[in-house]
Amino acid sequence: MSVHDIIDQQVKGHPVVLYMKGSPDFPQCGFSANAVKILKACGVTDFYGVDVLQNPDIRQGIKEYANWPTIPQLYIKGEFVGGSDIMTELYQNGELKQMLA
Amino acid sequence: MVQPQDIKTYIETNLPCERVEVSGDGHHFEAIIVSHQFSGKSRVAQHQLVYQALGDRMRAEIHALSMRTLTPEQWAALGH
Repeated sequence: MSVHDIIDQQVKGHPVVLYMKGSPDFPQCGFSANAVKILKACGVTDFYGVDVLQNPDIRQGIKEYANWPTIPQLYIKGEFVGGSDIMTELYQNGELKQMLA
Repeated sequence: MVQPQDIKTYIETNLPCERVEVSGDGHHFEAIIVSHQFSGKSRVAQHQLVYQALGDRMRAEIHALSMRTLTPEQWAALGH
């Protein structure tokens, strides 16, 4: 299975997927920590976190998958939502909570 | 080390902008970008345009960049 296929299965197999540096309990980067904090603030506790530091192929592959060069990356129902900045904006204007409902 | 002014120049060179402001310490940068090119595009597509303008530098030189993208109308609505 190609990296693209693995990512495809991950984002379509779970309602909320966060590609991040570190684990949801121990984020290894400020932007990833911010993303986890926002999800929790929206009441999401059981999202699927993928630690790209544990998997170099996914780390590279996810950047190509969404044509997005940075991590974290949030996917809801298989759709790419954005990175840390967009999550912050969507959280502040209330849209993210609706998308996660 | 990359300076905020360098990032401003990279963006302005490759993306027609009304306004670009970049601040940062050489490792973490924050940018506000106002461009007509953003009109009618999703936030993801707007950020992708900026990443495209930065190209390989995003992978090689720039470790962390926060950005806010606005159309000229949104910028004006903020009272500017």
